[in-house]
Amino acid sequence: MAAIFNLNHHASYVHWHFIQLSVSNVIVIVLMLIVFAAAIFLPFPHHRDSEELS
Amino acid sequence: MSVHAKRTWTGAVRDRAVSALPPEKLLADKQPSYVASWIYVFGVLSLSSLAVIILSGSILALKGPGWWHFTGVGHFFNSIHLWSVELFFFFMVIHLWGKYWMAAWRGGRARVWITGAVTFLVAIPCALTGYVSQQNFDSQWISTQAKDAINASGLGAFFNLLNFGQMYSYHVLLLPAAVVALVIAHVLLVRNHGVVPPFRLADKLPAVAEPATVDGGAAGPEASS
Amino acid sequence: MTRRERRRREDESYRTWNGSYRRYDLVKEASIAFGVILALTVVLTILFSSPDEHPSTVQSWSHGDPVDFVTTAATELDGSSTSGSYGPPYNHASGSVQHAWFLHPQRWFGVSHPVNSAQDFVLAPLRAITGQPALQSAVSTYETASANQQAAWTSAYEKGLNKASATSAGSISVPTGNYGPLTTMMPALLTFAQSGGLDGALLTSKQFYQTDYTKPLLFMADGGVLSNRAQAEHLLGSQWGIMNETGSYPGQVWLWLYTFWYQIAPFQGANADILVLLVMGALSLAFMLVPFLPGIRDIPRWIPIYKLIWRVHYRAASARTAAPTSS
Repeated sequence: MAAIFNLNHHASYVHWHFIQLSVSNVIVIVLMLIVFAAAIFLPFPHHRDSEELS
Repeated sequence: MSVHAKRTWTGAVRDRAVSALPPEKLLADKQPSYVASWIYVFGVLSLSSLAVIILSGSILALKGPGWWHFTGVGHFFNSIHLWSVELFFFFMVIHLWGKYWMAAWRGGRARVWITGAVTFLVAIPCALTGYVSQQNFDSQWISTQAKDAINASGLGAFFNLLNFGQMYSYHVLLLPAAVVALVIAHVLLVRNHGVVPPFRLADKLPAVAEPATVDGGAAGPEASS
Repeated sequence: MTRRERRRREDESYRTWNGSYRRYDLVKEASIAFGVILALTVVLTILFSSPDEHPSTVQSWSHGDPVDFVTTAATELDGSSTSGSYGPPYNHASGSVQHAWFLHPQRWFGVSHPVNSAQDFVLAPLRAITGQPALQSAVSTYETASANQQAAWTSAYEKGLNKASATSAGSISVPTGNYGPLTTMMPALLTFAQSGGLDGALLTSKQFYQTDYTKPLLFMADGGVLSNRAQAEHLLGSQWGIMNETGSYPGQVWLWLYTFWYQIAPFQGANADILVLLVMGALSLAFMLVPFLPGIRDIPRWIPIYKLIWRVHYRAASARTAAPTSS
């Protein structure tokens, strides 16, 4: 079952001083930070029918 | 609480369990009004990822460890298993970040934090035993490299990464059982303690140790939630 | 009131919530989350699938790089290979034994998976080859020679192998020298490996049913077959390989801190592994005990990301406080 994107080729790498990260891993890390920030900043829906209970 | 002439072990366990987790706490249909942020969904997303890991892993286990190399369906389920693992760690770490910045251990919730931390730490060798059970080049390389660290710790005398049979047993049974047990403990502790209230913004403490309330300030009569 | 009492009282005040609640459907939320994750996993699978690079075998190794194979086999014979000189849990040597100050756990737990590199990787497999009396005679000559004589043969052979080359027929050509019975033994081992027989012999040496790949993996790891592939895939330790996956797949990002230590001194010497494990063990313990660590547990209070997380709650609370009370 062939994938739509074939990732079975050599990866590209990001080099910064002694740090080496694959582009795939950098994408995962960046996505995590974006998702975390989005989770904090995006407004959470408040439905009128979920009234406050004491 | 039930009244018995002579208290049975069963009765004692039941009473303790129901006291810690009455049905309305275990399967609550209300939550504190401050639980109003997307950051709160990452626990259940981690849990759901774990469920998909276990389901896909069970299908792989049904057909044995070699199946996925030779059939498209097998490879499909191996891919599901790999991506659900990536999602599990992705969401679990964001869940951890959220809980840290909320200082979610407050109010007697240290065990919630500890069980969560240990779950993360146990998930790592669970993943490692999976990587070395793949029966491909990845397994060969990871096992021959990681063995040096395991041997250096002395654990190499008990835990042989090059022994596929042993690693497969750890991966399919022992470590997932440990992860699931820890997650159950973690979730039950959350249900027992409730979701941690927000930090109080008021500068002063209440006169006595009163529970947090909606205005973050002073006393209200203590009520069970 | 002491600071400790104040802290304890404050912490107690967070134990229960006496404020308002909102209706919430736990089962519905869990069901939606499960559906989302299942869908996401299926989409990722359809888009990217998963890697499955074929394993190396002793057979493929001996065909692909016969000089490396024979060179490794020679070092197994004289015990100078990584496995041959490893130490516990394989043998009583000390080439790869690590310690940290007074901690010698590798030694303490002893030899639990005995590997005799000369016997297991060379002599026993050669003994299994039948119908070749000249070969068996050569093996006997080697086994009955003195230790010094054996060392002289293997040493000379390894020097010769530095100038060896692979032939078009798949064997190797070694400059002539005083190699004794190795001239017969090593080409025979190469032929046996190229036929696939050595893979099987290494695996089933103890019993028919076998799941323990220790011997063939140690043998391959002693040579270059695995490390050459790994280097091409950026999987070496010095390439932050612990975090990486074959191809362009995302790897094990959560191991970033574990692999970080290996990139800096003093975690690059002979005791690197045990030192890294000790540091990560200490950090893991600290991670578990965050609620009890002064400073670490206070950072969320000092850097108030919580004000963003609970902004709706704080806004509602201040609105209630500001609203005039009815008498």
